[in-house]
Amino acid sequence: MFKDVLHTTIFCGNLGSGKTEVAINFSLSLKKYAKNVSLADIDVVNPYFRSRMIRHYLTEKGINVVCPIGELAGADVPALPPSVLGVLQNPEVKGVFDVGGDDIGATALGRFKPYLKEGSYNLYFVVNTRRPFTKDTDGILKYVSSIEKASRLKVTALVNNSNLGLETDMETVISGHEVVRLAAGKLGVPVGFAASLRHLAADLEKALSVPVLPLELNMQPPWSQAAGEQAKERLSIPGERFFK
Amino acid sequence: MAKILMKGNEAIGEGAVRAGCRYFFGYPITPQSELPHYLAKRLPEADGVYLQSESETSAINMVYGAAGAGARVMTSSSGPGISLMQEGISYIAGAELPCVIVNMMRGGPGLGNIAPAQSDYLQAVKGGGHGDYRVICFAPASVQEIIDFMKDAFELADKYFNPVMLLADGILGQMMEPVELGEEETVQIPDRAWAANGMRGREKKNIINSLYIVPEDMEVHNHKLTKKYAEITENEQRWEEYRVEDAEMVLVAFGTSARIAKAVVDRARDEGLRVGLIRPILVWPFPVKAFEKVIPHAEQFLTVEMNMGQMVEDVRLAVAGRRPVHFTGRPGGMLPVASDVFQEVKKLMSGGAK
Repeated sequence: MFKDVLHTTIFCGNLGSGKTEVAINFSLSLKKYAKNVSLADIDVVNPYFRSRMIRHYLTEKGINVVCPIGELAGADVPALPPSVLGVLQNPEVKGVFDVGGDDIGATALGRFKPYLKEGSYNLYFVVNTRRPFTKDTDGILKYVSSIEKASRLKVTALVNNSNLGLETDMETVISGHEVVRLAAGKLGVPVGFAASLRHLAADLEKALSVPVLPLELNMQPPWSQAAGEQAKERLSIPGERFFK
Repeated sequence: MAKILMKGNEAIGEGAVRAGCRYFFGYPITPQSELPHYLAKRLPEADGVYLQSESETSAINMVYGAAGAGARVMTSSSGPGISLMQEGISYIAGAELPCVIVNMMRGGPGLGNIAPAQSDYLQAVKGGGHGDYRVICFAPASVQEIIDFMKDAFELADKYFNPVMLLADGILGQMMEPVELGEEETVQIPDRAWAANGMRGREKKNIINSLYIVPEDMEVHNHKLTKKYAEITENEQRWEEYRVEDAEMVLVAFGTSARIAKAVVDRARDEGLRVGLIRPILVWPFPVKAFEKVIPHAEQFLTVEMNMGQMVEDVRLAVAGRRPVHFTGRPGGMLPVASDVFQEVKKLMSGGAK
């Protein structure tokens, strides 16, 4: 999944499909294989649960987080910093893009089309089949089409991120995988990988014929069991100083 | 039926559709925009009408019109938008029409920010608009509760011919939790013989109005409304009690604050401290009955809010000077941290603070 990763990896999908968790965990794993990893948070849709919320934590882990900073991080304006272009133009960097949900979020991605040369990037469409609008093949195809139209880019692979948050079990991911596989077949693209809670990942990898990205959940409210003491301290919604 | 993962804002939309609501008028504002976004897709599927108005003032007046015509209707907004709607809400209360209004609160006053807060409690429960009126007000604390309460909200609105508000903060709107939707039921909406929807063979016109030019008539109407509010106060108090049976310290919190307060109660109990929680499910009418039950063993109360202390006034009225009532909270879109609240509980229980 990571050894021959392309210059740019983009995660888009339906609102609430788990793009941000996937993008964060993908970046952290990628860091083991690549010297310079930049995570670009270009989400202009979600007000709270975005990669920038844990910018300090990711920076400590050696990830360069590109996002609106300071008071702009929590401002309700669809503005992105010019440093996003730096990620795309620097050949020494592996870039990971966390795109906002739905076609509205993907519109922001379309602005970078001139910098995305064919073969230099993967555009993953993240699917959670437990979300109301992407529970079946038809729903997934509809969303893929609307996102391709808005971004003017073609989806290159699907990611099965079927989950119920902390209530996710093997069945959730496996039943979702069948739906995602069918949709990928109709689109003529592969299922790039699946993602799931860390404790399920190894067993899932045996059950599914694709790699499984283990997830540590970061986008959790502070009282959640998943948010350990350390996670609580690093949570900041929507700016950077939320829990100080 | 299999569970699905939903955002609170989407759950409001789905809950409304399942409660038979077919009309939505509103204007986008963070942090509630996923709700109109969801209904823009969902209502046409259910042969309903979704309309984005040109302002919140228009939206609430469209709600007024649709409710007057007998529709099951709702709108939603956040702080500043809800302020703009106050005139219309007062008209709807005066004309005694059923509707549901959602407020996904953010930091204020003024433009404030888009971070989660409980800054509009007083506006929601003390009137907000002009005139002598009350709005029934739900304060859900989970995405599942949102789904479950939407039906109750529309039913109470119909039962009492009164606007019902769903008051939550941005976190509840934005966070995702697994929910059980259950089978979609056929909703029976009570007959609307009073609706202004054409003569339909009647002799007399149905008129929807909140204008009472003659003071004597207005006074009669005010008394009628007040009697209704007293009835609601008597019949509809709803709350959750959590580990209060022998509690010496009773926390009081609603919505997201209650989720944090619950974590504090568990931690305190682990350390052998007798701490419990009263969580108002409706914040108007305020659950004063809950306090009578705990007064015999409760030595003090602590309200936890995401504001500078708004509900604490209602808690003090309920406790009526019999016990000290303290406040802790954070305003401005910041969340109280469980460990900080726990320190406050320990300090108060050891007699440390006044």
